[in-house]
Amino acid sequence: MLRNAIVVVMSLSALSAHSAEVPINGTVQSRCIITTDTAGVYGNPNAYTLTTTPADGGQLAVVRFDVSLADAYYAQITAPSSFSSSPTLPDTVTWTGDTEVSAMSDATGMGSYETNKVELGMMDKYDLTATGSTWFKTSSTATLGGSRAFPGGNYTALVEAECIAQ
Amino acid sequence: MKRLLLTLLLVSGFAYSHEQVPTYPKWERGIYPGVLTTTIEIFNKRNDVEFYEIGVFDKEWNPIYFVADYKVVQLKYLSSASIDIFIARENRDRAEYVCSRSKIRKGGDARTAVSSRICSRFK
Repeated sequence: MLRNAIVVVMSLSALSAHSAEVPINGTVQSRCIITTDTAGVYGNPNAYTLTTTPADGGQLAVVRFDVSLADAYYAQITAPSSFSSSPTLPDTVTWTGDTEVSAMSDATGMGSYETNKVELGMMDKYDLTATGSTWFKTSSTATLGGSRAFPGGNYTALVEAECIAQ
Repeated sequence: MKRLLLTLLLVSGFAYSHEQVPTYPKWERGIYPGVLTTTIEIFNKRNDVEFYEIGVFDKEWNPIYFVADYKVVQLKYLSSASIDIFIARENRDRAEYVCSRSKIRKGGDARTAVSSRICSRFK
């Protein structure tokens, strides 16, 4: 009788030990995440201009890059130089655009991103030398030639955000 | 009305992201002779994107021929996919990057859309 009781108690304690040690496993990998915070909207301050400038009724495109490994990625952001969809246009469009760092999670490590960036046409290239999050804002303006009016319809242009391993 | 405003604020505050691992993939021997394989994983947290295009490139960003089940992968919002990529062994030293690019649907209002591309590098 006593032996049976001991066996039962030992079995129960063994079971409870097992259930108390359920492991939770995880792996942390270095990675880059591109997040669209704001897609951007064109305002139409006059008939022949579409612009993301907030003062003209537009909204800047804001993209966030999260990196978990320093010196491992470049961020390349390219402002639009054509519409991906639009009505048929009566004239050529002149494009201007620029990208700037708008916020950062680590002011010490990321403070030099804007001064160290490389600009090549509409593309701005940043060396992501610190871990954390960086927000980039991209402006875009499209002006129709000959001061002609943009036809009514939907206009979409793409900001390209690229995260490229070094 | 307050509830509606709060909901709109919350919805407009949502962020949409694209993620790819590993940063530095490696080629491994495939099941067929003369073929190397690697695997990347893509996570789609963009509800405005349902398709991602895969590409393999050399140092100069010239495309390199590769084989995968699909070169344009359908990935529903908040889902991930492991993608096996195969190349010929002779292209091993040329292949520098493997990238995934979001595919944006046409349409919408007067806006800018963000096309995201993440590239892992073979070292």
